[in-house]
Amino acid sequence: MIVLADAVNPFIQSPGGAKFTIGWIALFHTAVASLSIGFAFTVTILQIVGYLRRENRFDLLGKRVQLWHVCIYNIGTINAIGLVFALSGLYPQFWSQIFTQFFWTLIIEETLFFMLATTVTLHYFFWDTLWGHKKLHIVLGGLLTPFFFLQFYIINGMGAYILTPGFGAGQASLWSGTAGILGWDKLAFYNPSFLVLTLHRTFANFAYGGFFVAGVCGLLLFLSKKQEQQSLYEVGGRLVFNIAFLNLLLLPIAGFFYAWVLKYHAKGAYDNLMIGRGDIVAGGIDWWWTKQLIVASMLGIGLAFARKSAKAQGNSSLPLLMVYALASVYLMFYIGMGLQMTWRFFWGSLAAAVVAALVGTHLLNRHEGSGRAVFILMGLLSFLTVCLGGYVREASRPRFVTPTGERVAGFNRIPDYSEVYVAPERPELMTIQMVRDRPAYVDKLPGRLLRPDPDRWTAADLVSYRCISCHTLERVHRYQGDDWDRVVGRMKAYGMRMTPEEMSRVVAYLEGRGDRQDGGQKTNGRAEER
Amino acid sequence: MDLPVIPTPVFPRWVWMEEITYSHIPIATMLTAFMLLAPAFEYIGVRRQDRRWERLSKSLIWFSLILFSPGAALGTGIPMFIIGTYPEFWSRWSNLFFWPLMVQFGFFLGEVIFLFFFYYLTWDRWAHRKTLHISMGIVAAFFGYMVQVVWDSLGAYMMTPGGVALPQVDQPVGWSLRAMFNPSFLPLLIHRTIGNFSYVMLLTGGVFALRYLGQKRKDPTSENTSYFHWASGTCFLMGFLFFFPMPLIGWYYAEVIQREAPAAFLAVMGGHASRYFIIKMSLILFFLVVGGTFVVTRYRAKAVLWTTTVGLLIVLAIVQIHPPLRWLGGSPVAWRLAAAAVLLGLIAWLWVRRGAGDPDRQGWQWALFVAGMAAFFTFGLGGFVRERSKSPDTVYGEIVKPERTQLEADRYLVYTKWLRPQGLYPEDLERRASTDWQQQVQQARQQGLPLTDEEADRIIRYLEEHH
Repeated sequence: MIVLADAVNPFIQSPGGAKFTIGWIALFHTAVASLSIGFAFTVTILQIVGYLRRENRFDLLGKRVQLWHVCIYNIGTINAIGLVFALSGLYPQFWSQIFTQFFWTLIIEETLFFMLATTVTLHYFFWDTLWGHKKLHIVLGGLLTPFFFLQFYIINGMGAYILTPGFGAGQASLWSGTAGILGWDKLAFYNPSFLVLTLHRTFANFAYGGFFVAGVCGLLLFLSKKQEQQSLYEVGGRLVFNIAFLNLLLLPIAGFFYAWVLKYHAKGAYDNLMIGRGDIVAGGIDWWWTKQLIVASMLGIGLAFARKSAKAQGNSSLPLLMVYALASVYLMFYIGMGLQMTWRFFWGSLAAAVVAALVGTHLLNRHEGSGRAVFILMGLLSFLTVCLGGYVREASRPRFVTPTGERVAGFNRIPDYSEVYVAPERPELMTIQMVRDRPAYVDKLPGRLLRPDPDRWTAADLVSYRCISCHTLERVHRYQGDDWDRVVGRMKAYGMRMTPEEMSRVVAYLEGRGDRQDGGQKTNGRAEER
Repeated sequence: MDLPVIPTPVFPRWVWMEEITYSHIPIATMLTAFMLLAPAFEYIGVRRQDRRWERLSKSLIWFSLILFSPGAALGTGIPMFIIGTYPEFWSRWSNLFFWPLMVQFGFFLGEVIFLFFFYYLTWDRWAHRKTLHISMGIVAAFFGYMVQVVWDSLGAYMMTPGGVALPQVDQPVGWSLRAMFNPSFLPLLIHRTIGNFSYVMLLTGGVFALRYLGQKRKDPTSENTSYFHWASGTCFLMGFLFFFPMPLIGWYYAEVIQREAPAAFLAVMGGHASRYFIIKMSLILFFLVVGGTFVVTRYRAKAVLWTTTVGLLIVLAIVQIHPPLRWLGGSPVAWRLAAAAVLLGLIAWLWVRRGAGDPDRQGWQWALFVAGMAAFFTFGLGGFVRERSKSPDTVYGEIVKPERTQLEADRYLVYTKWLRPQGLYPEDLERRASTDWQQQVQQARQQGLPLTDEEADRIIRYLEEHH
């Protein structure tokens, strides 16, 4: 194990590499921290249902969930501390510099963190003490969801920035794009993918928290022998499962818009995701595709569960008509995705959903209508999707390339988006000097990065910016024919704006006839860096 | 690139820094002390078949769990705040201590897992497997204590680097055994461990005293009333007795600081941090008087009285032999006599008071609480004095805080280049206040005191302005 920096590589070395260490801690943290908002929401729902129905069992389950929450929350908190330490040691340049943009953002997030930690703890530990003030207790718990939302709203601003810097991609935004407050970069915070990431993660976290609680209920259903407890876990599990499923339904749509934003603002990452390049493929498996198939499976299982519940007309079930309507909507959605991406995506997702629905139905029949096995299965699948979602988002960013153009494994400390900083990628040039006033270099900073001038677009740029107006690059990548002139002509007939000169450059590029300067260094457009 | 130091609103950044740190440290120390004591109390309960000990143990853990989340959240905020406001310090310091920080993270994770899952949640489930349960408590306490060990080591380095230079930003050392086991690590660790037990138990005793008062009003004969009565006395007595090794350990700690960080030592012993140190000493005297009177009133056993007497004699001995303390008050004889009179008077008072009066009276409960609070503030001031004493350095002799003023720089120069080489203390400056400083400095230079012209000018200016 290398623990000391050597002269060749002036970074702290960690076992497995910095990327592995950070990835592991960050994924662990995300998987745990993402539960919080879902748990908080679930507890409030359970408390309200218990209060309205005057059924103590819902309140009891709520209390139990809050206890899990307190335990898991603390693990997540400790993990956050580890993440801060690991980032500052392993990615010193990134971590130090991001503070110049987001210091105050992080401090506000920390303040919320403290308030949340206190409220969650008090809410659980004074559950019985506040029994005579139930409404007050429910309100206290209810405050957690919006506060958690606010906290992760802030984290999402920074997380989204890492993938889509947008107008924050230029240090000038630090000084001229904000109110002049050092440590708060408004342009960077409200970056292109901020809103969609927030939406996507909100639904995902509600779904994940709910499925996780249902999964634990399923496990306890297997373990408990008392009739009363079984009833509690069955009814409670169904309630939270349905809440989670309703949130899951929104995820593919939010995900679609998220991908849409990436297409324009993080093209490299988007291409990596769609074509399956770089770290998206690990161990021979395309993890983005895997995640999509799991999501489709979850939809299938959820719909099968909803159908079965509706037929049994049990508690907390959706109307049968609504179940069929949802199934139709998602069939159409996936057909649309097939048109956008590839038909393989459609057929793969459909197959996964159908097979999973059959498995779900079988599990429900086998356990005499009890949702216990389905709860556990969905809990596991949702855990996997959260981990994979986080992984592919981070892995999608293009790998760091040294100034000489090499891709050096293990030297991948300064990510591709370090172009937002003036500092060169070479670590030995990194110096940190304290300045108390406006640094002298501010006036010399470059302006904001603008989209390349269309007159200087290469053929590859033309393909990227024009073709993706309607479909993904994967369709281009996977096209088997050689009749590019006919294909491009058809696209023009569909409405693509392109001059005849641009058209001929694109056709030449796709046929592999473009010169190197024009981006046509590959022998075939389809062979683009697989 | 130049990394700007982020300015803070309303107060200077060091005020914010200390504010955030001092909100975290009491929580963290209380937690660690509770976690160390809880399995011990549970064990005593099992051995003695006395359920009050188990109840006390469980209530300490229950309170620890309430404190844990806010404490940990504040703990996350501290590095965030430092990274933004003291970027150079953080970059260099974490370069030196990256692996200890990561190991600390592992200990922290172990602590939360064992504390929550294997100690608290299994309390009732393992009611008949006490050995296993207590073992889990010990494991949790071990992890918790190791977190403190790491932080004490890193914190002690900031006061006494012991010749290990703070690496530059681009020198990721990762870890250094010498830096970790720096000169003041051991005394600080012992001082804080015993100090934590003492202040936490005194405060807990004070809080239980108020609980006792409340329960007594509701139902004087209830089991709760009897429990709180027992718990307040037991905790307070423990805290009181834990205090007595502190002067000895503190003396040892001061010796190390005197050798390794002389400017900081001078700052405490009559220098700019001494006023806080004197307040701290006054608070100690206060809870010694109140606590001593209470324990001899409540516990009539001679062992308690003798232990208290021996403890106070140790305090007296330290006060008599600690060199700089001899100058407090302006005259060594006067100081020694006054200190001896006060402490011997207190001992005499305790022997007279033994067993007299009613320790269950309302006034006593409030007195215990106030004494507990005094102990808490004593602890808080200890940390404050330590940090202030090395100001304007962040790491003694290695890096200064960005907001260092000319006054602080000159004062530091006076400590290191004027007082220390001549074996003087800041009190000596007061005694010679009417002298011609320019002449004094020139004379000292002629006699071989190594000072550059610029240093001599700064020292003269400082002395003329402030003495």
